[in-house]
Amino acid sequence: MNAAASAAPDATAVQRIALKLFLDGPAALAPRDVIPVFHRWIQTRAVDGLLIDVADYTHLPTGPLALLVGHEGRYVLDRSGDRLGLQYVRTQPLDGPLETRLRTVAAMLLRAARRLEKDAAPAGPVRFRGDEIDWIVNDRLLAPNKPDTFLAVRPAFESFLDALSGGAPWTLTPRSESGTRFGIHARGPAGVPLETLAGRLDSAAGF
Amino acid sequence: MTWKEKLGDRIPAESAREIDTFENQIALKRRDRIDDKVFAETRLRRGAYGQRYDNGQRNDGNGVKMLPFPSNGRTKGPDTVWDAPGMQRIKIPFGGVTPEQMDTLADLAEEYSDGICHITTRQDVQLHFVHLDDTPSLMRRLAAVGITTREACGNTVRNVTACPLAGVCRDETFDVTPYARASMRFLLGHPDAQDFGRKFKVAFSGCRQHACGLVNMHDFGAIAVTRETGGATQRGFEVHVGGGLGAVPHEARLFDPFMAEAEVLPTLQAISRVFARLGEKRNRARARIKFLVAQLGIDEFRRLVQEERRRLAPDARWTAYLDDLSSAAEQPLKSGGPLDGAPAESSFAAWSRSNVYRQRQPGYAVVTVSLPLGDITGDQLRGLADVARRFVGDTVRTTVEQNIVLRWVRGSDLPALHRELDALGLARPGAQSIGDITACPGTDTCKLGIASSRGLAAELEQRVRGRMDALDDAVRSLRIKISGCFNSCGQHHISDLGFYGVSRHVRGRVVPHFQVVLGGQWVENAGAYGLAIGAVPARRIPEVVERITTRFIEDRRPDETFHAFTARIGKRALRGMLQDLMPVPDYETKPDYYRDWGDPREFGIGDMGVGECAGEVVSLTEFDLVGAESQVFEAQLELEAGNAAQADGLAYAAMLQAARGLIKTEFIDIPDDPDRIVAEFRTRFFDTGIFFDRFAGGKFAQYLFRRHARSGPPAGVDAARRSIEEAQLFLEATHACQARLAGAPAPAGAGAVSGSPA
Repeated sequence: MNAAASAAPDATAVQRIALKLFLDGPAALAPRDVIPVFHRWIQTRAVDGLLIDVADYTHLPTGPLALLVGHEGRYVLDRSGDRLGLQYVRTQPLDGPLETRLRTVAAMLLRAARRLEKDAAPAGPVRFRGDEIDWIVNDRLLAPNKPDTFLAVRPAFESFLDALSGGAPWTLTPRSESGTRFGIHARGPAGVPLETLAGRLDSAAGF
Repeated sequence: MTWKEKLGDRIPAESAREIDTFENQIALKRRDRIDDKVFAETRLRRGAYGQRYDNGQRNDGNGVKMLPFPSNGRTKGPDTVWDAPGMQRIKIPFGGVTPEQMDTLADLAEEYSDGICHITTRQDVQLHFVHLDDTPSLMRRLAAVGITTREACGNTVRNVTACPLAGVCRDETFDVTPYARASMRFLLGHPDAQDFGRKFKVAFSGCRQHACGLVNMHDFGAIAVTRETGGATQRGFEVHVGGGLGAVPHEARLFDPFMAEAEVLPTLQAISRVFARLGEKRNRARARIKFLVAQLGIDEFRRLVQEERRRLAPDARWTAYLDDLSSAAEQPLKSGGPLDGAPAESSFAAWSRSNVYRQRQPGYAVVTVSLPLGDITGDQLRGLADVARRFVGDTVRTTVEQNIVLRWVRGSDLPALHRELDALGLARPGAQSIGDITACPGTDTCKLGIASSRGLAAELEQRVRGRMDALDDAVRSLRIKISGCFNSCGQHHISDLGFYGVSRHVRGRVVPHFQVVLGGQWVENAGAYGLAIGAVPARRIPEVVERITTRFIEDRRPDETFHAFTARIGKRALRGMLQDLMPVPDYETKPDYYRDWGDPREFGIGDMGVGECAGEVVSLTEFDLVGAESQVFEAQLELEAGNAAQADGLAYAAMLQAARGLIKTEFIDIPDDPDRIVAEFRTRFFDTGIFFDRFAGGKFAQYLFRRHARSGPPAGVDAARRSIEEAQLFLEATHACQARLAGAPAPAGAGAVSGSPA
């Protein structure tokens, strides 16, 4: 089959999606301190998924620093864009439409972030911000970093954010850097703790 | 849409076909139609390697736990779970990489791996935590930018390496890049290089005196030399063979003090044939060519190779590239210009002292981008590609010290380049110093790793770099290289200070240790191999470095090298210096001794698996049978798509390939010519009755004969379907015949041949 004959990519079909929450006061968390936390999470099965191993890149100044690698996805302490935060990167397919998949990934991320707030406190309290979230798509085939992709996925992403914030407005900024993966930075209402976000997702899902 | 559709004809036809075949083999393996061992070697030859814990078990610190992958018993090799993440090795011949290729590598790291590209000690790139199902798309995207993963692992000719300064070095005899490139192209997929018992590594050096291409530790190493003949300067190579590190290191032997450049490729071919014919195949621990050279002696080995060389049919590729050596040379992106003294950041001076090399060509420099433990993020690599486009163009190379060099940097651009690299987090000073440590993956991802080479390297780098400015110059220029086990992927034998992971049982517990290796020599093409002087608990290795380097400074004679210093002091005295570091205290007193660097789990060696470095010994016949299976499968796909003629052609091609594979058990050079294959098959296997089935006699062979004799209009759907069925039966009969020849029980599928409908 040649390229001309093939169907146009459907950006809403993306499966390799990642969400990132940002640390509030990132100095409170030394990346190296997260390595033993991730190992303990494997021992106690503290977070969702089949957890395989921990990868340590804390010697790097940027990017993924500490990874809890699982079969379905990975939890990543990430300093891309010079901002420290926790990502959940989905690698295996999920059921349902894009909005549902985003909610599932967000729920897993929120559980892990809340757990990290409790478990990684040797240098002081660790808190994640509830008013910012990054969505990154690891699929340049279905979701090239172009305005069309933004238009295609925006309704699903906004619907997901509505569920997260209880309808409060978010400001969306698509990633614009050339060559990077498609992604959207979303800024929403301030001062919302993670528990509230998680609770809203649960209630929107009918739990 | 798929990547195959999107990339279309951007993928070279041969690469596209190879990757399609590999994808079909994955599909066949999913249906359990390929033996584990054969599939393992098949994927290894595509660079898809195993990774730690892929046997589905991991010690989480409290004990070995099962990893319940959803694979339903499906495997991708012996004791290797299908869904377990693996490593993808990507060949970068002589380390040469373009910005476009760097972009693609960055994309692949983000989409299929963990976001990190790792540069290896043989100029490859490795991606970790890759799922096998993603590898065909990954390979297509690489092929579209001119990169192959073919023969990156397995019992093949691995990446051909070369000095990263080739062509710009101030001391080299001549640029070896075109020779490395030609060797890679010539040997890739060459029929004479497909039946080795182990891997085969080739390297090129431009000089004798520097580390350059590390010729002394290679299976085939060539150092550029010239001689005057009839008033003309003739190019050639001083060729060494049979070197290698690993558990039993061998220094290479001189094969030829001057091999004319035109003889390099035919000699490589002749050596390949001798290695394939006489090299050990059963005992994996003694299957590298170094053992064959040692066993035969260099003189007899040379005689056999020369004899083989005389028998080779001429091949235009042996010398075709020599006609165009000058056009293969790199062109600078910008005109040269000296460092003009423009204002620069304070950090520039230290960086330029250690990371900038003045090229032979006036006005240009090579800049080393020092990568911590060989790692670079996708964003960084993409940023570096952008920098390369603007400053140097396509003149980028990876190095065996796990760094990246930008060549042809205009001198006056250095401050600006430094600023740009700094913004990417890539302006780390101290390249090629004691703070630029080489380490193999070790226990992080390697199944054979015993101790954490990367954990130790990270710890040592942090400590050394904290006081780099205070170090004596003689210490600053030393090299530290660390391997996670004795196999020496971190090249610990040829380092000033080498370490490799071992374990010791102490009072009922296992304690991570590192053997301290001294006496190695990095320069002079890895001129000498060090020896272990004693095992020290991992926790105390930083003190080993401190003590030995301090003693070196205190007792060093004027201009004495570290290599000469350790030889003069002697290993007994050096070991004596470390004696008090060797005891292991009680667990209750010092529990840290019982953990490895960077890993909070209590140490154990239960996670070790069976390595895939050695690949699987799979005969050429088995490969041909797998290839034939793939063609039958492709024929089915074509038939489903309504392409009867193509389906019929593929079914016929499958029978030919299976027959050819069988013939190779007797006649390895059987040409890829249908008439000859059928004739040889008839003579050797039909007329002799060897191919005959116990019940069906020669019926299945007749399928091949009839199809070969057929002419006329293209096959319709019914004829194509019949061709596929017959090809499948012929294939099963070939499997059965091959099993009989090997003295093994017939495979399960072959048993069905007897009762199959005609």
